[in-house]
Amino acid sequence: MDSDIESAEALAEGEHLVGSEMERREDPNLVTGRARYTDDISVPGMTHLMFARSPYGHADVTSIDTSAAESMDGVVAVFTWEDVEASDSPGRIRVEDMIPMSAEVPDHPVLADGHVHYHGQPVVAVVAESRYVAADAVDAVNVEYERLDAVVNPREAAGEGAPTIFESCPDNIISSGELGDEDATDEAFETADNVVELDLVNNRLIPNAMETRGAIARMDDGRLFVEMTSQAPHRHRSNFAKTLGMRETDIRVNSPDVGGGFGEKSHHFPGDAMAAWAAVQLDSPVKWVATRSENYLEGTHGRDHVTTAALAFDDDGTMRGLRADTYAAVGGYVLDIAPALALMYGRLLAGEYDLPAIFCRSRAVFTNTAPISSYRGAGRPEAIYVIERLVKRAADSIDMSPAEFRRRNLIDPDDFPHETAVGATYDSGDYEPTMDRALELVDYEAVRERTEREDGRLVGVGLACFVESTGGGFESGVVRVHPDGGATVFAGTHSHGQGHETTYAQIVADELGVDYDDVEVVEGDTDRIPTGTGTFGSRSTITGGSSVAQSARDVVEQARQVAASQFEAAPEDVAYEDGTFHVEGAPERSASFEGVAKAAYGMMLPPGVEPGLEATTFFEPDGTAYSFGTHAVVVAVDPDSGDIEIERYAAVDDCGVQINPKIVEGQIHGAVAQGVGQALYEGAEYDDNGTLVTGSLQDYAVPTAEQVPEMMTDSTVTPSPTNPLGVKGVGESGTLAAPPAVVNAVIDALRPLGVDHVDMPLTGETVWRAVQDAQATDD
Amino acid sequence: MNFDGTFEIEDVTTEEAWIGLSDPVLIEEALPGCEFLIAVDEGDVDFDELRERAGGETPSTLPDADPEDVAERAFEEGGRYAALVEIGVGSVKPSFETVITIDHREFPDMSASGEGNASNSSFKLDAGMHLAETDDGVAVEWEAHTDVFGRIAQMGQRLINPVANRVVNQFFGNVESQLRGVEMDDSGSLRDRLGNLL
Repeated sequence: MDSDIESAEALAEGEHLVGSEMERREDPNLVTGRARYTDDISVPGMTHLMFARSPYGHADVTSIDTSAAESMDGVVAVFTWEDVEASDSPGRIRVEDMIPMSAEVPDHPVLADGHVHYHGQPVVAVVAESRYVAADAVDAVNVEYERLDAVVNPREAAGEGAPTIFESCPDNIISSGELGDEDATDEAFETADNVVELDLVNNRLIPNAMETRGAIARMDDGRLFVEMTSQAPHRHRSNFAKTLGMRETDIRVNSPDVGGGFGEKSHHFPGDAMAAWAAVQLDSPVKWVATRSENYLEGTHGRDHVTTAALAFDDDGTMRGLRADTYAAVGGYVLDIAPALALMYGRLLAGEYDLPAIFCRSRAVFTNTAPISSYRGAGRPEAIYVIERLVKRAADSIDMSPAEFRRRNLIDPDDFPHETAVGATYDSGDYEPTMDRALELVDYEAVRERTEREDGRLVGVGLACFVESTGGGFESGVVRVHPDGGATVFAGTHSHGQGHETTYAQIVADELGVDYDDVEVVEGDTDRIPTGTGTFGSRSTITGGSSVAQSARDVVEQARQVAASQFEAAPEDVAYEDGTFHVEGAPERSASFEGVAKAAYGMMLPPGVEPGLEATTFFEPDGTAYSFGTHAVVVAVDPDSGDIEIERYAAVDDCGVQINPKIVEGQIHGAVAQGVGQALYEGAEYDDNGTLVTGSLQDYAVPTAEQVPEMMTDSTVTPSPTNPLGVKGVGESGTLAAPPAVVNAVIDALRPLGVDHVDMPLTGETVWRAVQDAQATDD
Repeated sequence: MNFDGTFEIEDVTTEEAWIGLSDPVLIEEALPGCEFLIAVDEGDVDFDELRERAGGETPSTLPDADPEDVAERAFEEGGRYAALVEIGVGSVKPSFETVITIDHREFPDMSASGEGNASNSSFKLDAGMHLAETDDGVAVEWEAHTDVFGRIAQMGQRLINPVANRVVNQFFGNVESQLRGVEMDDSGSLRDRLGNLL
């Protein structure tokens, strides 16, 4: 159905905009080239920043000669760490407060401080009049290195004899922690009928937003003004203040249209830091835009876990206990919240199950690789992969249908809020209906019978049930009604594909009872928005949506006061329906919202009535909202080539109340595409020297449209009690569900050949080798 | 990265191939992108100076060259050589200032190691070869282990592998055509005069 027509009909019937599939109002600009991204911004006198980067994964810098670069025409300045050190700026990227660390290690310097810890680390910064000159000058910089042994695998890095990356952290383990109850888990393993074990690698991923990272910084009337592609402009402002040693009041950050972020653009990098630092030093505009390859080298990567896990369960399928032991890479420096991601990932290990005992030990480990931090999913896909792969192996080991195995262990719908053995409190849930629907969509029972296709390919079906923790922290939301009754909404989140302009307008138009088109949404500018936490962690609708909703409700109350003063009635006697205020029982004494807005800003307000219609809310949800669902996948695998075809993909999600079901569906599509990418195609590889050998899109396979399966989607609605809208986050769930669902399906297909595990990505070669190895063992 | 392969050269004896592959001048001419290949002493190598020195006429190779000269300049175990080699990978064409040491040389086996540096890229190399007689010529069995760093490394194996294959194939193809005409039958004087190389 055409969504405009649908929403128009909905309005005509006096229905709510919330729940309607409004077309995304941001799309016309995005699809017609009128969007304005950071690199589209050009200002007079602009210079360009580029970096000479370490060619080595681990080395000491022994000498730097910048003379040839400095003497080139068009080169404005060449900077090394000495220059940064000599300035008033700390020049290091501060790790977020409250991150537990076992050793004092230097924060990531914006330029190498005599050591390089990963391939591509910025060493020398060149500012030139054009990008071309900057690139040539980078080539003319001569840096001598003393190469050191490198280590790239987190388990090896934490092992005996591994090269030490920071002297003050000799074992390379920067944080370690435990979740759950070790004794209770030991007891469960001792008394359970069965135990299965798995060694799992959660492959390292490189975020691939269409727009690479970038910033343009300049001094504007004595203040630093940075326009940059950011998911969290206020967080970036705080970061600039710390890195440069400035006050936040002296900095403005504005994020224009953002071409995807996936978590990477909530982090602070040497690139944007140096652009700002150089703009201050040179008092001239400096632009930095990472090339795709630079984005690969020095952007944050995701995942990279090595885990040994085990599940204890009884013969009837009852799950008794789970153990996980994880080494998680943080890369060459701690950036942002990386250690916390590693330590807290275990919080989701219970998945959807009533699992009485869990014990998880995890370590955040330095490696000679690009820093790891949050990437769409951020810790949750790693946890769901562990539990869902174990469940598949456990069910297979007692020849029980994996669906039945899961069903016997699902948390009962009456058991919410539910506290898990690893300390997560699930707010609300009703898990079985999503699973039933997913099984129905792929015709589970029938496909279980079908092990081979006419063309000889092996058929398998895989499931993944998941919960996803969404919506942490506070968010600001302002609703400002203008004298003509139109409203501007300001939110501290920042859309980078999520469609906030549409979603927030739907929420606020409903709350205010005004026309959808009379509501404008503004994000991204720290000078216009009070403060903000940002868009990440599937949090925007829960936190930003609720804060603008609350502000709109407050504005309605303000308007009621104004209307009451006009009617000379008590406010509690004034009703507001369908955009009209009237006195209860006297509908003829009425005023439109526009009329009340005009009065609110007029000269005739009686004493005691506050002029203006504007409210600000800092909303923090009452706990975490846990989305959930089941994805089911049918695959056909060619054992001779290792080729995998996804025949059917069903995603049934429950993210509570849906503001815009079309946007929800889009989020699921995108996240499933990324999850399928992790399962089948993507994997960042470093060689033993710490050289990134998947250094471009030529060697790092992001799935193309052809490689993304058709998806059948459906949903159930279990409202969340954590927020007034009843919503849960949905931006990441597909990245949790798709990897285990796809891998479980492939294992299901290959089980007759004796293959019981293959690490992602399941490329043709890895699958073929697994089949060969299994058959060799068989013989 | 590891590379290996076997290149078969027809109508050439193992000895002839050995003599040819022992001649720095022949190698210089056969190796695509090689500007010069010069024996150097221990210590730092001044490539600017070598560039100037390499400007002159290239001496001839067998069969035109004086066998005494070929014997005189042949690779020696422990010998150190500097080469400037331009290799085009994708859009970049770095010139590698390369220093190679012959680690082992005993007919029919030779191994060498070294490293090359260019702006933004560098490599380390361990390579070996073994000559084996075939029905109609000689098989050069070769292997190389390389560590590649910097911009070239980042381009990935999919670009590097074809380049490596192209360089190797051109090299041996050139060696093959250079060796054509070099004959060392038992009656010839070449065997006597170059026998010490074998």
